[in-house]
Amino acid sequence: MATERKASVTWQGELMSGRGTIESVTSGVRGPLEVDWANRAEDAQGKTSPEELIAAAHAACFAMALSNGLAQEGHAPERLETSATVTFVPGTGITKSALTVTGTVPGLDEDAFREAAEQAKENCPVSSALRGNVELELYARLT
Amino acid sequence: MPRVERHAEVTWKGNLARGEGRISAPSGAFSELPYSAATRVAARAETTSPEELLAAAHAGCFAMSLAGELQDPDARIAVTANVVLDEVEGKGHQIVESQLTVRAQAPGLGQGAFDEAVGAADDGCPFSRLIAAGAKVTIDARLEET
Repeated sequence: MATERKASVTWQGELMSGRGTIESVTSGVRGPLEVDWANRAEDAQGKTSPEELIAAAHAACFAMALSNGLAQEGHAPERLETSATVTFVPGTGITKSALTVTGTVPGLDEDAFREAAEQAKENCPVSSALRGNVELELYARLT
Repeated sequence: MPRVERHAEVTWKGNLARGEGRISAPSGAFSELPYSAATRVAARAETTSPEELLAAAHAGCFAMSLAGELQDPDARIAVTANVVLDEVEGKGHQIVESQLTVRAQAPGLGQGAFDEAVGAADDGCPFSRLIAAGAKVTIDARLEET
């Protein structure tokens, strides 16, 4: 079954001096989020950016895929802490997503955990969508 | 220009079917957004999913890219992205499509120049390029009266 998710943005003005608002996402989970070029290409100062949202999507997708992989091997995790760092080079594009995971998984050794994390990195739908265009990195360890 | 990194963090508890996660951004723009497998497949109010975040990223990226092409301080651009996750035979779940709907107002801009700007915005949007290898990007763009 296909699943669809929608988000809308309104932008006013030019790229460098204008500003945008992300609103009316399907879920209504978060009020309007502001975006602008300075927060995207320079230091983030309380506003999000497309790259931050991709990082959030990737970290979330990876956590789900890993929890599923571990449970299928009989080692459902107690807790996984994942992160993604997405690199954006203005003028070139999005070049890398680096995933990290720290897991609490009863009865599993470090090698098996790393293997499961590698599988999740390869197979989660967001990784599949990014693959071919960006470098994917992984750092995995047990607590 | 320098390279830019953006970071986000997730805490997940439990297995896929019954567990749940929380998504946060160090920028402070959002924190502890809840999501779970159930809400990824069937949308439920107040709970996000990776696809919803990608839709927000694509809409945000395309709107900026088009603003960069139009170079008009009075431009008003509205973009909606609809991201489709589907099961592909032999490959499991894949992100297969992102459908963009673009409505813009730009005083004095002709249709031909607008169409050109939309094409250039798609070429220049890092997100469109990013998913082009695995997913289809469609654009329904219309220039509206100001």
